[in-house]
Amino acid sequence: MAVYERIWRRYDGNVTPLKWRAAVVTKYALAEAFSSRIFAAFYVLCLLPTTVGVFLVYLSHNVSLLEKVGLTAEFMGGLTAVFFQFLFGWQALPAFLVAVVVSPSLIAADLSNNALSLYLSRPISQRDYVLGKMAVLAILLSPITWMGGLLIFVLQAYLEGNNWGIENWRIGMAYFVGHITWIVVISLLTLAISAWVRFKPAARGALFGIIFILAGFAQAINAVTGTSVGDLIHLTRAIANVVMSIFGGPTQGNLPIALNWFTLVATCAVSIWMLRRKLRAHEVIG
Amino acid sequence: MNISHDLGAPVLELDGLTVKLGRRTILDGLEASFSGRAIGLLGPNGAGKTTLLRTLLGFYPPTSGGARVFGRELSSSAKEIRAEIGYMPESDAYIANITAIHFVRLMAELSGLPPDAALERSHEALFYVGLGEARYRKVGTFSTGMKQMVKLAQALVHGPRLLMLDEPTNGLDPPARKRMIDLVCDIRDRGTSRIILSSHLLGDVETVCDEVLILKNGKIADSCDLEADRQANKNFVEVDLEAPNDKFDSAVAALGCEIASLEPGKLKLVMPADVSTRELWIAADETGAGIRRLDLKRDSLQDIFLRAMEGN
Repeated sequence: MAVYERIWRRYDGNVTPLKWRAAVVTKYALAEAFSSRIFAAFYVLCLLPTTVGVFLVYLSHNVSLLEKVGLTAEFMGGLTAVFFQFLFGWQALPAFLVAVVVSPSLIAADLSNNALSLYLSRPISQRDYVLGKMAVLAILLSPITWMGGLLIFVLQAYLEGNNWGIENWRIGMAYFVGHITWIVVISLLTLAISAWVRFKPAARGALFGIIFILAGFAQAINAVTGTSVGDLIHLTRAIANVVMSIFGGPTQGNLPIALNWFTLVATCAVSIWMLRRKLRAHEVIG
Repeated sequence: MNISHDLGAPVLELDGLTVKLGRRTILDGLEASFSGRAIGLLGPNGAGKTTLLRTLLGFYPPTSGGARVFGRELSSSAKEIRAEIGYMPESDAYIANITAIHFVRLMAELSGLPPDAALERSHEALFYVGLGEARYRKVGTFSTGMKQMVKLAQALVHGPRLLMLDEPTNGLDPPARKRMIDLVCDIRDRGTSRIILSSHLLGDVETVCDEVLILKNGKIADSCDLEADRQANKNFVEVDLEAPNDKFDSAVAALGCEIASLEPGKLKLVMPADVSTRELWIAADETGAGIRRLDLKRDSLQDIFLRAMEGN
C-alpha cells in the first residue's frame, strides 16, 4: 500500500517470535552507538591491545621475521603467563572505557522522556529490556576482551604446539571466566547508574567515582585498620584477584578469593535492585 | 482475526478488579463488560482512568479480582494481551534524539513486525497521522501537537486489535484536536480495531465512543451504552406548533407516530424507526401547521455524567 493513500489498516502479516523481541532493543541501541563516528573510531582503538597481542605472538614464532628486524626469539623472554596477565589488564581497561562511554545513553535516553512505558506496553518485560540493553555491552565488549584473549591463546597454542594449550589451560580459562565476569559486573553497574543518573557527564563521573574513589577509600580503610577489609569495596582488586586466582598467580591483599567473588556478586545484586527500582513504566505512589 | 467478524464479543471484562498502590485503593471492585467499537473512560482527575489502562497493560498487578481483554485473562496472558494493544499514554513519551521514522519503526519491531514491514508501516502510519513530511526530523524537535501525533502513530503502527488512548487531545489547539478526533473516528469506523478512550472531555468521548464507563474515586459511578441510547432516543421528538392543528395530529398519527399532547400546540412524539423528521415537516406543510420548534430529545452525555457525579 502506498503512503499517499493515507488510510488505516490492520497488520495481517507474520510476526517475529516473542523470545527475540529483546534483540530489537539491542539492535537499535547498537545502531545508535555506532551512529557516532567518534565512537566508532574509539572502538577500533580499543581493539589495539588484542591486535598488538596477536602481532607479538606471531612475531615471537617467526624467526625469519625476527632476524630481519634484528631480534632473537628470546626477545620477550618467552610468552609466559605474565605476558597474558599483562595483556588481560590492557583488554579490561578499554572494555571499561567503552562501557563508560556507551552506558549512560542506553537507559537514560528512554527514561528522560518516559519512553519506557512505550517499550513495556509492548510484549516485552522489564527483564527482556534489561537483557536487551546488557546485550549491547556484551556485544561491544566481547571482541575487546574474551574473544580477543581466546584468539591470542589459541594462536599461541597452535604456533607453540607440544600440548602448550593443554598445559596452560588456566590462561584460556582466566581469559574466558575473568572477562565474562568483568563484562557482567561492569554492564549491570553501568546500566544501573544510567537508570539513576540521566545526565550523561554526571553518569560517567559517577562510574569513575565508584571504581576509582571507592578503590582509594578501600585502601584508606586498609591502612587505618591494618587489615584487608577495605578490599570488600575495592571492585578492581576483586576482579583482579579472581582472575589471578584462575591464572594461578599471586593475589593482592589478604582476603580469601571467596570474599572477592562476594564483592562482585554483591555489586551485581545491588545493580539489579537499582534497575528494578527504576525501570518501571510508571511512578508508584505511596 | 478480523474484528468485524467478532463484533459483539466482549472486548473488556472486569471482574471485581481492585488495584491498591501502597495503602491507597485506586480501583475498587470494578465489575463491567464492554463489547462496543469504542469504549470511553470518563471521570474527574484522579478517578482511576489511567490506572485502569495501566492495569490492563500489566503495569500494575490487580490486588484482587481480575480482567479479561478479548477473553484473555490479564493475570496469565499479559504479554499476549500487550501484543494486541496499541497504547498512547497521557504524558510525553518519546525518544528525543532519534527521527520519527526510526522511533515508530523501533516500536513496530518491538510489537513483532519484521524489519521490512515495520519500515513500510512506519511510513504509512506517519503519513496517516499527518507527519509524513516531518518523519525524518528528530522527535525532540516536534511541537506538542506533533508529539501527540507521533504517539498515535507508534500506537497504531502494528495494526493492533485494541487501541488504548489516554487523553489523546491533551495540549492540542482546536484544529489539532479536531484532527485527532477525526483520526480516531476514522480508525473506529474502519471496524478493524477497537478503541478505549480515556478522557475527561465529554465532547471527545461523546463523539468517539458508543459505550462509556464513568469512574469516580476508583469506583464505577455509571456505565452506559451511548449507541443504544442514541438508537432508542433518535425517534423521540418534541414539537411546538404555532397553533393547535388536529389535521397535523392526524397526519403524524397516520405515519405511525405515538402522540402525547403536553399542552395545546405542544406535542411529544415517538416516531417509528422508519420515519424521519423530514416527514414531519412534509406533514406540517401539507396540513398547514406551523412548526415553531422541533427538538430531537435525548440525554446528553453531560446529563449522564453529572447525574453519575451527583449520585455518588
